[in-house]
Amino acid sequence: MPVPGIPILEGKYPSTMDLYPLEAKEFNRVHQFYENLRQKRFTTTKCKKCGHVPFPPRVVCPECNSEDLEWVDLPTRGKVLRFTEEVAGVPLGFDSPLIHALIDLGDGRKFVSRIINCKEGELKEGDEVQLAVFDVPPMIIEKKGVMTEAERVFFAFEPSKAEVK
Amino acid sequence: MEDVAIAGAGQSVFSRKCGVSIRELCFEAFKEAMEGLDITGDDIDASIICSAPEYDKQRSPAGLISEYLELTPKPSFYVETVCSSSSTGLRVAWSLVKAGLHRVVAVIGFQKMSELTSREAAERMGRGGDIIWESPFGLTMPAGYAMYARAHMAKYGTTEEQLAKVRVKNSHYGASNPKATYRKELSLDEILGSEVVTSPLKKFDCCANADGSSCIIVARGDVAKGITDVPIWIIGLGAATDTMTMSGRESLTGLRCAQEAGKQAYQMAGIGAQDIDVAEVHDCFTISEILAYEDLGFAKPGEGVGLIEEKQTYADGKMPVNVDGGLLSKGHPIGATGGSQIRTIVHQLRGQATEAQVKGAEIGLVHNIGGIGQYGNVTILRR
Repeated sequence: MPVPGIPILEGKYPSTMDLYPLEAKEFNRVHQFYENLRQKRFTTTKCKKCGHVPFPPRVVCPECNSEDLEWVDLPTRGKVLRFTEEVAGVPLGFDSPLIHALIDLGDGRKFVSRIINCKEGELKEGDEVQLAVFDVPPMIIEKKGVMTEAERVFFAFEPSKAEVK
Repeated sequence: MEDVAIAGAGQSVFSRKCGVSIRELCFEAFKEAMEGLDITGDDIDASIICSAPEYDKQRSPAGLISEYLELTPKPSFYVETVCSSSSTGLRVAWSLVKAGLHRVVAVIGFQKMSELTSREAAERMGRGGDIIWESPFGLTMPAGYAMYARAHMAKYGTTEEQLAKVRVKNSHYGASNPKATYRKELSLDEILGSEVVTSPLKKFDCCANADGSSCIIVARGDVAKGITDVPIWIIGLGAATDTMTMSGRESLTGLRCAQEAGKQAYQMAGIGAQDIDVAEVHDCFTISEILAYEDLGFAKPGEGVGLIEEKQTYADGKMPVNVDGGLLSKGHPIGATGGSQIRTIVHQLRGQATEAQVKGAEIGLVHNIGGIGQYGNVTILRR
């Protein structure tokens, strides 16, 4: 579809306007994170040498510079500490309410995430939330004039459902 | 080595829609900054252009602005720390002058936000976060500061009414600022009754996107004395950078970047918070001003709301803050904001404030924050 006023964009992939990361292995060295995410696993890297477990995942341990890292699971459930429901002026590409929360994942680890599948006014501090993985638009990779689509997933948290436990 | 001073300071009118191009916008601030100075553009040895690039079609604006202001072939380059870009520009200018490389440097900040809708602007602004780990959540400044507000409320019992009182004060002063976007006094009820943007922040807890420019002329001490009657001395500079991600923050009840920058600036100036006569702080949201009181040591952690409750941050209080209306009234043209804050303090220290003059102000402070507490800059000036 032609873009009004910008005919040269027709059929093009405007990468700087892409909302989601370049997840394919051709573009980063933490693509395993997304592979794990597809299995509903929330993971990061652990240094086999010094035991440091940073998030986001790394390719070199920031504490001891070791490259000997392994993938480990982080909790996929947590407790909402603080949250906000954005209802006006949410960024292009998102719907209202856009909910963000500071989540306690246990063992002293806190994480800021979007909360989905939750209506305005439903969430409370102290609520339990769980990892939610969903498909996002594929990324277009162009190789020698051939365009291919790389499937992508992304994640957020959602209110825990009792029946899932 | 010579000390470094501010010789001139100017800004454009801040407005929702300036109706001019960025080069024309910058000229307004440059013109005001140069007024009354005994120099011309030929005497400016370098220019530092400051903005957040995501709003503009123009890339590498430094060369463009430099040409339009007829500053070529003197060096011009770009400095960016999102909303604190022009304070960072001032820091760089100070270093260049202090090092002896240049005698006079112009720091020009600008932003023209009106070419985008507010939802487009929010999306671009979101890219000022971590584009792999947080921007995909749609996290932007209002939501980020809303979580700081929630954390402050939970820990200290801060209320929405106390936050609203910050806007009452700032709207009072903004009403008489001829450069402000909003020049209307707001009542507590109007603020508390305004629609929710991102809970607990309401429309009037938030500053508005705006178009605007600012310009600060920085000069070597002896040169400054020759070109202006009242040089304003830069006596303290502090800067710090916190994690890009909010997940990486140690706490959400204060901005570590501001605490660190404040400490450095006080130490360099050899003074403490009690010595500040007037301050400009980065009130992008009402909660941000309360955090600033505490991060800068005007109040102990958790006691910042006492200052606004007791009206101590009004012009006749113990610690006047944002008596030009702040970002909440002036609007927040990202790259121009720091320079506008500096300009207000320069006017205060010269006894030329047009809104509310703090009597006998000799030492002033500027607190300018980039992003959701990513970049902190604190600058201390003396008459």
